[in-house]
Amino acid sequence: MTPVPRLELRRVSKTYRDNGQPLPVLHEISLALAPGSITALVGRSGCGKTTLLNLAGAMDFPTAGEVLLDGQSTARLSEAELTLVRRRRIGFVFQFFQLLPALSVIENVEVPLLLSGARRTREPALERLRWVELEDKAHAMPYQLSGGQMQRVAIARALVHSPDLLLADEPTGNLDTASGEQVLRLLQQAAARFGATVLLATHSPEAAAIAERRVRLRDGRIESIEPA
Amino acid sequence: MRLLRILMLRPLRRDALRTALTVLSVALGVAVVVAIDLAGDAATGSFRSSLATVVGTTDLEIGANGGIDESCLARLVSLPLDARFSPVIEDLATIDGLGNVPLYGVDLLGRSGILMSRPLARRMHLRPNDKLAITLNDTRQTYIIAALANSTDSEFLVLDIADAQKALNRFGKLDRIDITLAPREDFARAERAIRAALPPSYSLEKTGTRSEENQRMLRAFRWNLRMLSYISLVVGALLIYNTIAVSVVRRRGEIGILRALGAGRAAILWMFLTEAVVLGLVGSLAGVALGRALAEGAVGLIAETVNSLYTSSRPAPVSLGVGEALLGLLAGTAVALLSALAPAREAMNVPPTEAMARGAHEHHKRLRWRRDLSWAAVLAALAAAASQAHPLGGQPIGGYASVLLAIGAAGLAAPAVVLAVNRLTRHTVRRLFGVEGMFAGRSLAASLARTSVIVGALATAIAMMASVGILVGSFRETVLVWLDTQLRADLYIRPAGRTGADQFLALSRDLAPIVAAVPGVDAVDVFHALEFRYHGERATLGGGNIDIVRRSGRLRFLPGQDRDAILRSLPGQDRAIVSEPFANKHGIRQGDRIVIPLAERSLALTVAGVYYEYSSNQGFVILDRGTLLKYLPGQPPTNIAIYLRPGTDPAAVQREIQKRTAAYRIVIAPNQALRRNALDIFDRTFAITYALEAVAIVVAMLGAANSLLALVLDRRRELGLLRYLGASAQQIRSMILLEAGFLGLLANLLGLALGWVLSLLLIYVVNKQSFGWTIQFHPPTVLLACAVLAVWCATVLAALYPARVAARLNPVEVIHEE
Repeated sequence: MTPVPRLELRRVSKTYRDNGQPLPVLHEISLALAPGSITALVGRSGCGKTTLLNLAGAMDFPTAGEVLLDGQSTARLSEAELTLVRRRRIGFVFQFFQLLPALSVIENVEVPLLLSGARRTREPALERLRWVELEDKAHAMPYQLSGGQMQRVAIARALVHSPDLLLADEPTGNLDTASGEQVLRLLQQAAARFGATVLLATHSPEAAAIAERRVRLRDGRIESIEPA
Repeated sequence: MRLLRILMLRPLRRDALRTALTVLSVALGVAVVVAIDLAGDAATGSFRSSLATVVGTTDLEIGANGGIDESCLARLVSLPLDARFSPVIEDLATIDGLGNVPLYGVDLLGRSGILMSRPLARRMHLRPNDKLAITLNDTRQTYIIAALANSTDSEFLVLDIADAQKALNRFGKLDRIDITLAPREDFARAERAIRAALPPSYSLEKTGTRSEENQRMLRAFRWNLRMLSYISLVVGALLIYNTIAVSVVRRRGEIGILRALGAGRAAILWMFLTEAVVLGLVGSLAGVALGRALAEGAVGLIAETVNSLYTSSRPAPVSLGVGEALLGLLAGTAVALLSALAPAREAMNVPPTEAMARGAHEHHKRLRWRRDLSWAAVLAALAAAASQAHPLGGQPIGGYASVLLAIGAAGLAAPAVVLAVNRLTRHTVRRLFGVEGMFAGRSLAASLARTSVIVGALATAIAMMASVGILVGSFRETVLVWLDTQLRADLYIRPAGRTGADQFLALSRDLAPIVAAVPGVDAVDVFHALEFRYHGERATLGGGNIDIVRRSGRLRFLPGQDRDAILRSLPGQDRAIVSEPFANKHGIRQGDRIVIPLAERSLALTVAGVYYEYSSNQGFVILDRGTLLKYLPGQPPTNIAIYLRPGTDPAAVQREIQKRTAAYRIVIAPNQALRRNALDIFDRTFAITYALEAVAIVVAMLGAANSLLALVLDRRRELGLLRYLGASAQQIRSMILLEAGFLGLLANLLGLALGWVLSLLLIYVVNKQSFGWTIQFHPPTVLLACAVLAVWCATVLAALYPARVAARLNPVEVIHEE
């Protein structure tokens, strides 16, 4: 029996409207991601990478086609169910880190657990910080960290609730080489150690290199998939 | 200029709702200031006697406590001076359905009939030769209108002096002698000659002194009203500060880029100051127009207070001059500019290399709370010191300074309060409200700079509401207790017609025996009141039956003074009791001797005691009736207090008195009605205070909505991120509402604490120094609790729209704005 893909996109298209005019961003994208795999979306700016990540993370919905998480279409979920899916099964990492400036490092990591009403939040958060080697910065404020450190905190936060799917949008786009390499190692570990399915959008060949599959997008269409 | 339009005006247009709320706050603040100023001028600016239109302008006037002996006139006209001496009697005539109008008795060379001013004739649709029925004192009289007197807007009546003396039963007495000197006459020489011809107890003053005196007398009242009107402007100022501070925080990145592109520090400063000036100017323009409209409503309220507590005045039309309009514009714009200085300076200092994140900026503010708290302590100490200062020129300048310093101290303590309350309630809040509560509390503490300003603005408004509420509540309670001690008789009689605090219509001397003969009447206390002047200030001199007061009354004296012994010492002696405001105003204590010019002599009185009194802050000097009549034999009675035998029905006695006194135009009021009336006057007097407070609260509410909306817009990226991390729209909405709830709670806590301090300053410093009253501290607990709850609810309601905006933010859009 063929295992159900963790994430599957079936002939997904997305069209925005700009001043009333249709603005197609994605055309009939079909893609399946196996559990625990790492897939890189590569292509130029504006090719639709971020839109595809948002569709995959149930933050947005396709104009046509279907996005399935473990075989379940996101379009059929109610707003409350979608919130639960985001809380429990998805983790996001952004190019600009997106830490909450009002919260300390440890509190930032705790947020997904807090939102889902978990009773134990401090221990799992500390464990993830230990993993990203920032335990000593637990009580620092985000602005006191370097870019690389902030992104490591963001990865810890994205994985604190052990999500099935980790979506990373240009995770090294704002980092120096050494920090970038450190972040990529963590993403690899995320898949290997926590069993997360990783989908990352990137410009960087180094980032793309950690993926088992590289999906090249061009003008909203899949140009190639390597290895095929 | 183009850059300014793009960088400053465009964002103002983009945040149209916030801009509108800020402009509205300034407009309301300015409107209240303009309205109170215009209404105050209109209500008190009409003291100039309308008599000038009949007798022309005069140079000097002669007056005397208890009236001028007519024989004096003969001495004056024989002086070798080129001057005209015009005898004047001034009183009130009551016209049915119209109320009181001024009545003047002047020398019309024996012309019979009555002169009527044209505006009055127009209003009554009367013409020369028509009949006019008027009530003078308590007697109805009918006159033929002889002619109409020219006047622009004054309503008055004029009788020949002899007719006036006869009608008012003032034979041989004048109220005033007006003097007009020929242009070539030496003013100083004439003044000296006239002074020498007058008894020393008579006053000789330049014309207009009385009007100036009135303005001086009202200064404290108007100052206090003005101070109250500035509250809304101060609250508005805090909101301008907040708006500009938000602008600066939101555009730190932009500022950094501009600096890198070559914009100088001064250019950045001017950009933000211009934004404030635009907001201030637009708000002030709207405020001046609104203030003009509000003044129409306020003038009646102020005039009523002036009449009840001070002196007769007829409201003049409200007029908005260029000066007042400019003052309003200047006040609003200057306040906006000053409020924006600090945030604009902060913007100016943003280095080009740094587009510092909000987190760091707020963190720095958080580190500064100890320093702010130290400054708060310094200001609080200065406030305490200022509260001990003596009044300057009769004004409680130290008291006002102390109030301002206390508000400043509270503002500086706001960050510490926010942090302390947040820390103390952290666990409880999380237990009660879950993660939303935690986020709300943390966000407020994290946005400390912003939160402190909102809390400070709301707390100031709440504090003013609470302090004025406590002042008025305490005053009302004190007056209630005082009424109980003061109004001991069962029935009271006064002449018909409403009068000002300085006007005493006369009762017929025949009334007292008629009343005393009514079955059931135990005692009749006939009271004589007249206005007099003491050291340039007006007060009331009264004479009553002190023995009845001692037996039936419960007059309260200052601590340590024996009521019974004091009252026993008055009859037959040149001794008096004085009211507390009179004693405070003139620095008089028990045992002092005061000299009152009375008719042709100066009467030296020993102050037997100082009693509590709350009906007028001009003050009373009370003698035994026998003593007063010994020195002023012709002085008519003005009020009668009737004490009934135990078990007598007051209503039945009232009916019997009404029957027996049907020929007299009098009002008989039972004790309860008088008490109710006194409280009605009290409540009407303070109605404007509540109105001003309400405006300050509305401004603060607008500010809360404005600031919460700013908070949402400024944090939209964070709110979007929370949605990415799994927060539901409902959680976001709850978070914003909880933040509003916290803000309201913090503002209430700080506001009540500050309000309590301010109420003490208002009661024991400002009131005491302005009006001389001792007010017992009686906070109206239930009213305050309701008001505070209402403000808290309004704060949460004000957050409904920002919460809706927050919940509807598109997370994909806001997270990718960067």
